[in-house]
Amino acid sequence: MLERLSIDDRVVVITGGGTGLGLEMVRHLARAGANLVIAGRRSGPIEDAAAEVRALGPQSIAVPTDVSDSSQADALVEAAVRNFGRIDVLINNAALVSDSVPTPIWDISDSDWQAALDVNLSGSFYCARAASRPMADQGAGKIINVASGFGMRGGRDIYMYCCTKGAIIQLTRVLSFSLARYGVTANSIVPGFIPTAGTDTEMRESLPRSGAYLPTGKLGEPQDIGPVAVFLASPASDYMTGEIFTLDGGGLAGGLAPTGYAPQIPLEA
Amino acid sequence: MPLLSQYDLSGKTAILSSTGGDESPLLASVLAEAGATVFAVTRRQEQLDAILSALEGNGSSGGKHGGVAVPLVSDDAVSRAMAEFDRLDRPVDILVNDNRSLLAKPTGEITLSEWDELQSRNVRTAFLLSQAVGLRMIERESGRIVNLISGLAERGMMGGSAFSVSQAGLLALTRSLAVEWGRHNIRVNAIGVGWSISEDVPLEIQREEQLVRYTPLRRKGHPRDIGPLLVYLCSDACDYTTGQPIYIDGGLNAHP
Repeated sequence: MLERLSIDDRVVVITGGGTGLGLEMVRHLARAGANLVIAGRRSGPIEDAAAEVRALGPQSIAVPTDVSDSSQADALVEAAVRNFGRIDVLINNAALVSDSVPTPIWDISDSDWQAALDVNLSGSFYCARAASRPMADQGAGKIINVASGFGMRGGRDIYMYCCTKGAIIQLTRVLSFSLARYGVTANSIVPGFIPTAGTDTEMRESLPRSGAYLPTGKLGEPQDIGPVAVFLASPASDYMTGEIFTLDGGGLAGGLAPTGYAPQIPLEA
Repeated sequence: MPLLSQYDLSGKTAILSSTGGDESPLLASVLAEAGATVFAVTRRQEQLDAILSALEGNGSSGGKHGGVAVPLVSDDAVSRAMAEFDRLDRPVDILVNDNRSLLAKPTGEITLSEWDELQSRNVRTAFLLSQAVGLRMIERESGRIVNLISGLAERGMMGGSAFSVSQAGLLALTRSLAVEWGRHNIRVNAIGVGWSISEDVPLEIQREEQLVRYTPLRRKGHPRDIGPLLVYLCSDACDYTTGQPIYIDGGLNAHP
């Protein structure tokens, strides 16, 4: 049964694949055998990531892409199909993370709001739209959307990130229900607090400095996401769709109650 | 075929508790395939025999498997089961609770003894065993617990009140233990399943059923659909996911 966790020779397109959690997913997917089409706004990090994949054995190309431009999203999927003949998996991971500094609502400009929607939500939609046609034609495909714990709960002064990540979870559900008949599944990964270079900005101020308030007692590490991404990209998840795979140290299960809060109340007679 | 080393359970020992679902033997097999030694606890002897014969049959790489048939309805019964487990002379790394005894009938016709028996099989068993095993895991500062639950943990179904309550109880137990034992490096998650069968039935026959046509992926689930996820959730690599239900149900849970 475990052979279903192999993604040998599958073609995976990942956005935001040059840094942070994206790069960590790239590394694990390559170790599990996948060929990777790596997209990102800057060519340096994605070229390095593609070289790392090729050093591990699979094939890989880097395609500089701004996913907020739908023609570039289309071109990304075309590049995958042209180079590899098909697209098995799309991972929508690109997001404006470092720009998501907590800001009071009255200080958010129209262009701040729109820029986040363009990349985080429209970018995921454009890439899903571009990939869904070849996937439907193949009769198989997997769309994986990277959302966030902030898509499930509110964050103080974190408007755009919370709203777009919540919308991505809904996008996942609609895609799953709509594309099931074509053999295409869609699932979300919901990471909790996992520090990366991208969150090491002013956004850091809004994130916990340690895991003291999480049930696991520690923050996540970028490599935690690897085996989850491989599972969702592999035949092992073929019967899963519209669902959420959460990695958050138990934060959502416990809610915001301080982890150390452990009252003892005897059963009334 | 390249597989991530993170999915390996070599050297681990798993206790699999089953109320007798026919998926349990296949779940035992996949744990063994990943390298774990499996000790099964079942209500009845024939259920245990089915699991042990599946473990023998698959050329598993785990150690010497074992098991005991004892209904886990009391502290004494759990002590007996754990005493039998201790004959393996191994620590327990993994606990899988597969407690999904079914009952569907109009709520007005459910007898108190049926209600109590169902809650006992599905929830009390999981509580008692999690308590006994959890204390050992806390001592070793390491453990993985996976509860198999039905999607009816989150939804209602006509005639399903007693069963839904038992599954929601297991989901609440999952979240509670994850929060309470997280600091001890114990991770507690659930796999949510939809309508499933353990035989291979051709799709065109399956699709004669309205329920299958209602399922977005238009087939019933099979234990092989959840086996690899079970292995991952039992692995050390599953370190940051806890207190979560992961539904592999053909899209039912996201369905309107």
